[in-house]
Amino acid sequence: MPIYNPALKPLNMSEIKRYSGLDQYADFPPNLLDQACTESYLLAQPQATWQIYEYDVNTATIMGSQPLTLTAPKIINYLSGAVQVVVIALTIGQKLESKVNEYFISGEYTSGLLLDAAGTAAVEVAADQVCEFIKKQAAQQGYLALPRFSPGYGQWDITVQPLILNLANAHEINLTATDSCMLQPRKSITAVIGLTANQCDSNISYMYQDTTCPQCPQINCLARKD
Amino acid sequence: MIYIFDGAMGTMLHNAGLPTHTCPELWNIEQPAIITAVHKSYIDSGADIIETNTFGANRIKLTHYGLQDQVAQLNTAAVHAARAACGSATKVAGSVGPTGKLIAPLGDLKFDDAYEVFFEQISALHSAGVDMILIETIIDIQEMRAALLAAKAATDKPIICQMSFGADGRTVTGTDPETAAIILEAMGADIIGANCSLGPAQLLSIVQKLAAATKCPISIQPNAGMPKLINKQTVFPMSPEEIGTWAEKLVAAGARYIGGCCGTTPAHIKAIKNAVKDLGFPLLPSVQQLNKTTALTSRSKTIYLGAGCPTAIIGERINPTGRKQLAADIKAGQFMSVKKEALDQLKAGAHILDVNMGVPGINQADAMQYAIQELSMLVDAPLVIDTTDSAALEAGLKAYPGRALINSISAEPERLETFLPLAKKYGAAILCLPIAPGGVPTTALERLHITRQIIQAALSAGLRPQDFVLDALVLTAAADAQAGREVLSTLKLYREQLGYPTTMGLSNISFGLPRRDLINATFCAMALTSGLDAPILNPYDPLMQNTLAASAALLGTDPNGRAYSMNYAPNSQLQSSAADPAPRNIVQQIRQAVISGEKEAVIPLVQQALTDGMDSAVITEEGLTAAMNEVGTAFSSGRCFLPQVLLSAETMRAAFITIKQVLPAHTINSLGTVVLATVKGDIHDLGKNIVAALLENSGFTVIDLGKDVSTETIVEAAIANKANIVGLCALMTTTMTQIDYTITALKAAGSNSKTIVGGAVLTAEYAAEAGADAYAENGVEAVVIAKRLSLPR
Repeated sequence: MPIYNPALKPLNMSEIKRYSGLDQYADFPPNLLDQACTESYLLAQPQATWQIYEYDVNTATIMGSQPLTLTAPKIINYLSGAVQVVVIALTIGQKLESKVNEYFISGEYTSGLLLDAAGTAAVEVAADQVCEFIKKQAAQQGYLALPRFSPGYGQWDITVQPLILNLANAHEINLTATDSCMLQPRKSITAVIGLTANQCDSNISYMYQDTTCPQCPQINCLARKD
Repeated sequence: MIYIFDGAMGTMLHNAGLPTHTCPELWNIEQPAIITAVHKSYIDSGADIIETNTFGANRIKLTHYGLQDQVAQLNTAAVHAARAACGSATKVAGSVGPTGKLIAPLGDLKFDDAYEVFFEQISALHSAGVDMILIETIIDIQEMRAALLAAKAATDKPIICQMSFGADGRTVTGTDPETAAIILEAMGADIIGANCSLGPAQLLSIVQKLAAATKCPISIQPNAGMPKLINKQTVFPMSPEEIGTWAEKLVAAGARYIGGCCGTTPAHIKAIKNAVKDLGFPLLPSVQQLNKTTALTSRSKTIYLGAGCPTAIIGERINPTGRKQLAADIKAGQFMSVKKEALDQLKAGAHILDVNMGVPGINQADAMQYAIQELSMLVDAPLVIDTTDSAALEAGLKAYPGRALINSISAEPERLETFLPLAKKYGAAILCLPIAPGGVPTTALERLHITRQIIQAALSAGLRPQDFVLDALVLTAAADAQAGREVLSTLKLYREQLGYPTTMGLSNISFGLPRRDLINATFCAMALTSGLDAPILNPYDPLMQNTLAASAALLGTDPNGRAYSMNYAPNSQLQSSAADPAPRNIVQQIRQAVISGEKEAVIPLVQQALTDGMDSAVITEEGLTAAMNEVGTAFSSGRCFLPQVLLSAETMRAAFITIKQVLPAHTINSLGTVVLATVKGDIHDLGKNIVAALLENSGFTVIDLGKDVSTETIVEAAIANKANIVGLCALMTTTMTQIDYTITALKAAGSNSKTIVGGAVLTAEYAAEAGADAYAENGVEAVVIAKRLSLPR
């Protein structure tokens, strides 16, 4: 699959607020939020790559050259109607992360926090764009692309990251994982998209109910939606 | 006449036994009789034009099969197989499909490499004798531009350009039909259209939009309906009869060439032929793109210039002339300030951006290429390439996935000779600047005369009436009393006698005069009434913005002044209703500044308090610390939020720095030493950084060891610094066990430090089991706990 560097679409300001822990209606200088948004555009360098594999539903296996057999119930459930699986790796690069660190070092904590939040929003927007690309391409073959599912969500353990990165050919965009399975650069995601023949899969809605904020065990997450 | 293309080739070859994972184009050599038979079946069904079996016969696609060295053979054999099927009445179109890669910077394929790949294939098709080239199923306008340029260079045969659009009416890379049509017509496509992705029902509106945007004939090749996946096979369900019923509608919408794409068969083509064979030649839909309206586009957006169109502001700020810092950044290869200017100008109201890389001593072509590439990824506004360097111009035009405006072309012979062919080649519009070898014309009539010369030369070079934007040439009013009047007269003459859109660099008029903003804005209003369509100006100028908004209301381009009213009605300018309470004493003011996070306000307040002789300890305790306590309480009760807490912390920091500057000997008693770290294996440090910021500005001495810190380093630092507290952070399940190891190691080493732990995956229960003294849910709580734990026992 090609390298795709999506031109970043507008960021959602309310998502930046949420990621930074700011109430939507809080009285807060809009110029700081604008600045974070602008800097995110300037510093984010979205890059993505992906590969499409056959999926064996019976053994819950992504049929790469090194097959990956899934064991976590929710990802298996999510892919229960899939014929193929798209394995995606995406990063917005190191620049934004470095600028956040610079801000904290120079005592501009708020700018650092907001830029970090804008970076998270940028990753999400870029990932949405990549998924849209994949969705349109898949539709041409009659496939329905499910919403993306990432390691770390729905109790799909992040220890799978190295295998996912390998399946996605993530080295092409210089995205790697640490020994503790964290993505480097940090502002990155991996995900899978199930390609199914039709939309009528009751397991899908069930799965998504299980991965929303109220079900997440990380109760202190800054971006948690109540 | 309506021309009928053939239908799908791949579907037919698979039905004929092409094995999966076999290169379809290989059968041009190995099974030419089958290829010819497929063509024949389409001709027998009524196809006027058949497409060679060369959709994937480019070097990049053939590499998948190890056939990259057989481009010429496979394309030549395909043409021969097609010719073998048809007589003189049937035309052969050389099919050219995408490379499968996206062009940089959207992907990793260089534009020049894509061009070479297409040139190689199209040259082979041309040599083998095709009647036309059909570039099809392209999803990236930049790839289409490369293919079209290659086709223009490789053949003199007609060129058909067909993009693939999605259900949302855009290609997956964001280009809409109108924009694609404008770019491709300007670059010299003979026929413009769409194929694949959609069925005829969905393509109907695409045809309408294409036909409204271009005078080129429209071609359309729908799939046999929207695909479905049945038993792991992609199936296109639309019957021949049904597709036939759509054919008439597609013709009525403007299509002149109709065929089929995925899933269509000879039966579908026969149905289409039957449906349209008796149709008359319906009148073409009216083309929106009038002769004397000039369209500029980015990859995804079109802006029309001319009478009747809204005023388009061309932002002039990406220009290093007279701007040392911008020039230095460009020279150093740092384009961050260029990109920031782009975003800021659009935010300020610009619609189009002028890009000038005129820095002495640099390779302007490289700089222009990079700037255009970066800006085309960042903004959707059309760009103006502003240069006198032909190499820079070509680099910019090549890199731009849209239709740019060239700034500028004068009547000087060298400029005409070098710039006009580039404008023609890349489909750019040109800004006609009335300067001739004899010098700068001072009167409107002279300018009109020179502009006519430029237009004549441009038309002779192959440009079209919709390629022109006329500059009225603004001179300085301070040096020439008639400068303003002549510009206004020039604009009127342009409108009356030529009719093309107009532009000008406004701010020259005020050079040397005071209150340039006033002169510029007034002149702009005058010029708009005289026919100015696209002023080049500084969009940051608030007076200019006000003048433009008022002018739009007065001239009717903002109908009934609606936008004006929205922006200028008194209730949209409400000042904060929360008026400050009555002035307090200075400590209270400092406290309030910290609570409000007013960093700039706190500095003079602290300076004033110290000048008045106030004890710094009073400022710290009653002003700063009290404020942070209040902010912490507000945070804990959900009345304020983390970014606001950090603003307060920044304000505290500014206050502390100010105290230190005024009283260098001043020391603040530390509440204790805290060693902070994100544990080994964990590279997330935002939360730890926030805790460090809050602790530091609450009076603690913080030793921040950073992220991914080993247990040994943390223990060593805790003991060496006699830390009162060690703060440990872990964000992931894979790293939180390091918390346990580190606490155990601290105890084993005899450290007396108290431990506070936190991080997304940690809980109070986990902290207790790990032996931590406390768990902090957030940074504010960490400060409260740290204060409690550091109290003397």
